[in-house]
Amino acid sequence: MAFFNNTKEVGYEGDVSVSKPAKMPVLTIDSSDRAKLLSFINQKDTGALTVSVMGERDTMRKTYLLSRGRYDAPAAEVQPNALPAVMKYDTARFPRNRLGLAAWTVSKDNPLTARVFVNQLWQEFFGRGIVKSSADFCMQGDLPSHPELLDWLAVDFSHHGWDIKRLIKQLVLSATYCQSAVVTREKQKADPENLWLSRAPRIRMNAETVRDMVLASSGLLNRMIGGPSVKPYQPSGLWEMATSGRGILATYKQDHGADLYRRGLYTFIKRTVPPPSMMIFDASNRDQCEVKRARTNTPLQALIMLNDPTVLEASRLLADTLVKTGASPEDMIRECFRRIICRTPDKREIALLLDYWKSQEAYFTSNPGAVQATIKQGEYKSDNAAGTSVAVLMRVIQVIYNMDEAITKS
Amino acid sequence: MENELYQHGLNISRRRFLSRLSIGVGSAALGSLLIPGLFNGSPEEDAGFLPGIPHFAPKAKRVIYLFQNGAPSQLESFDYKPTLTKMMGQDLPESVRQGQRLTGMTSDQKSFPLVGSYYSFKQHGQSGAWVSELFPHMAKVVDDICIIRSMHTEAINHDPALTFFQTGAQQGNRPSMGAWVSYGLGTENKNLPSFCVLLSRGKGNGQGVYSKLWSNGFLDSIHQGVQFSSGENPILYLQDPNGMDRKARRDMLDRVAALNEMELKDFGDPEIATRIQQYEMAYRMQTAVPEIMDVSKEPDDIVKLYGSECLVPGTYAANCLLARKLSENGVRFVQLYHQGWDGHGNLPGEIRGQCMDTDRASAIGIKSGSATARNT
Repeated sequence: MAFFNNTKEVGYEGDVSVSKPAKMPVLTIDSSDRAKLLSFINQKDTGALTVSVMGERDTMRKTYLLSRGRYDAPAAEVQPNALPAVMKYDTARFPRNRLGLAAWTVSKDNPLTARVFVNQLWQEFFGRGIVKSSADFCMQGDLPSHPELLDWLAVDFSHHGWDIKRLIKQLVLSATYCQSAVVTREKQKADPENLWLSRAPRIRMNAETVRDMVLASSGLLNRMIGGPSVKPYQPSGLWEMATSGRGILATYKQDHGADLYRRGLYTFIKRTVPPPSMMIFDASNRDQCEVKRARTNTPLQALIMLNDPTVLEASRLLADTLVKTGASPEDMIRECFRRIICRTPDKREIALLLDYWKSQEAYFTSNPGAVQATIKQGEYKSDNAAGTSVAVLMRVIQVIYNMDEAITKS
Repeated sequence: MENELYQHGLNISRRRFLSRLSIGVGSAALGSLLIPGLFNGSPEEDAGFLPGIPHFAPKAKRVIYLFQNGAPSQLESFDYKPTLTKMMGQDLPESVRQGQRLTGMTSDQKSFPLVGSYYSFKQHGQSGAWVSELFPHMAKVVDDICIIRSMHTEAINHDPALTFFQTGAQQGNRPSMGAWVSYGLGTENKNLPSFCVLLSRGKGNGQGVYSKLWSNGFLDSIHQGVQFSSGENPILYLQDPNGMDRKARRDMLDRVAALNEMELKDFGDPEIATRIQQYEMAYRMQTAVPEIMDVSKEPDDIVKLYGSECLVPGTYAANCLLARKLSENGVRFVQLYHQGWDGHGNLPGEIRGQCMDTDRASAIGIKSGSATARNT
C-alpha cells in the first residue's frame, strides 16, 4: 500500500452529480496528443478529455498497517516493498515509487508476472490454467499440471517483447489445441477431467462472445473498434424497478441504428443492474476483479437463445439475406449451418433441418397471418419481400442458434 | 525441487491435505443440512460437538424473506424505548455513542439531541411483546414471530449495510442468503427457480435495490436469484416471440433436442446432455410460471385475507400472495424487497403510509406460514 499512499490528492473532491474528474491533479488530452504520443487511443469525438492522474509527492507520506483493516486504527509503520518471496525489491535498481514497482513487476528476472499472464491466457483457450487456481500461485494454490511447459511459455513470452498476439498464435496453432474434442471411452477413462490434455477443450463461450457469434454469423455485427459503450435491447423496466442510480442511470434509454449491433465488449454496464443477458451467461458485474468466470448451463440461458430479440433479429436478417440469393432450401440451410456452427452439416443434420423446413413451409402457407408477426423482430430494416420464405428459414435458423454446438467452442 | 515434484506426482502435500481437511469440515456441515439427523448422537456427544453445527435436526424447508428496504425505524415498530422518550431533547450521552463514526448526513450537526418514538406502543399476545400502533395486524401474530433487537451491522450507510444483510459482507460479490439456500438444499420443483426475488415500491422516500443483493457470488449462476417482474413477462425472456404458439415451440424444441442428441453421440460430452435437460426445464417454466403468477383464479377468501390490493400486480400485497404461491409450489427461497422506508425528516408521516401498505399482508404471510409449518 505504501506505493500508493504517496499521491498528491487529498480526500474527497468530486461531486457524483456532476460529470467531471473526481480527483485533482488532472491531465487534459486533446487532439494534438492523440495525433502523436497517444495515437493508440480510439476516441470518437474530438473534444478534449480530462482524466485524473496520480502525482507523486516530493516527500514520502508515512504508511501504516491498519489494525483489522480499520482506517482509523494505524499500527506499525511500513515501507514501500514488494513480496520478497517472488523477487527481492532491490532499491538500487527500483526506486521506491510506483514507477519502481512497475519496473519490478515486468523485470525479466521476476518469475511471477509472465507465468501468471501466460497461465491466464492458457485458461481462456483451454478452459483451465496449467495452474488450475489461476488467481492463486501461493501456498493455497494448485501446483502446475505441466510445470516445464509453463516455464517455457513464460520465458519465451517475456523474451519476445511480451507479445500477446504471438503467444495466442502459439497456443491456438499448437497440436494440443488442434486435437479433436471428441471424448472417446478410452480418454474418458484415462483422463476424465482432461487434465493431461488428451483432447481439445470443449467450453461454452463467454457472455460477450455468445452475443458476438449471433451478430457476426447473421451479418449484423458492427465491427467498429473503440468509442463509448452502447445500450442494446434489454427487457424494459429493469433499471426503473431497481431505483438505484440518478441522472443518465435512472432510466434505460436504448440506443438505435448501428449502436445496437456492437460487440458485447461495448455493452454498457450499470453495476447495480448489469445487463441480464450477459449476467445469465456468467459475465462479471465488475464489482470485483474476476480472474476466472464460471461456465454454467441453465434454463435461463435456453430462454435467452430462444427469445432474446437479438437472436430473433439475427435470424430474420440472415434469413432475408439468404432468401434473396434464390438458392435452394438445402443450400440455404447448408450456408446458415456453416456460418453459425462453423462446419458443414452432415447428412442426418441436413435431413432433419430440411424436414423442419418443409413442416414450417406448410404451416406458414396455411397460416399466412402468422408470417408478419413472426418476421417483425428488431429494428434493423430489411424489406423481407419474400415474407413466407423468410419466416420459414428464420425458424430453421433459430433451431441452429439453439444447438449446443452454436455456443460451444470445440 | 525434487521433493515438490514428488508431491506433485502424488498430488498431495501438507498444505493440500490441510486445505482439503478444511473443505471436509464444510461439507460435513453441508451434509447435516441435506441429511437432517446425520449428526444426531447421544446428548453427551452433542455437548462436545463442533461449534456452528446445530444441536437439532434442521426442519425448515423453505424461506420467505420479507425485506423492508430503506431502514424502517426500530423506534416506531418493535423496539419500545420509554427512557428515550423521557430524555427527549437531551444530548446523546457519550456512553452510548462511544466515538462511533458519523455519516455524511449528520457530521455537520453541532449537537445530537435524542428523539423518542412518535407513535405509541402497547404489549400484545402471551409473550407481552411491545408493538407500535402502526402495526395492528403484526401485533395479532406477535406470538408467532421472533423479534431480535440486538441486530446491527458495522456499516453506516444503506448500501454496505444492505449488502452485509444479504451476503454477510459489506463489499458485495459474495453469494446472498438465498443463493446459499439454493446451493445447500437444491430445488423441490424442477419447473421453477429455487431462489425468486419480487420487488415492490412504497410511497415513501426510496433507497435503491440492485441485483447484486441476490447475486450468486462465487457459486454457480444457477443459484442466482431470479427477479420476477409484474408485467406480462414475469421472468426475463420467458415469453415466446410473436407468431410462436406452444405447439410451434414444442416442435422447434424437439428438433433442437434431436440435433443435440446427435452431437452428444458424436462428442460424448456430458455438458450436452445437461443442455438438453435445461431446454426441457425452460419449456416447463414457460407453462408453470404464468400459472403461478395468475392470481385471477384465487378464491375470494384469500383475496379478502390479503386485501383487494393483492390483485394489483406489483403491490406489496400482491407480492406476498405470490410469495405464498411460489413457496407452496416448492420454491426454496422467496425474497420480497419493499422500498420506501428511508424516511429521514418526513419519517413520522411517511412511515404511516408504508405500514398501511405492508402490515396486513406481512401478518397474513406469517400466519399462513406458521400454520403450514405446524401441519408438516
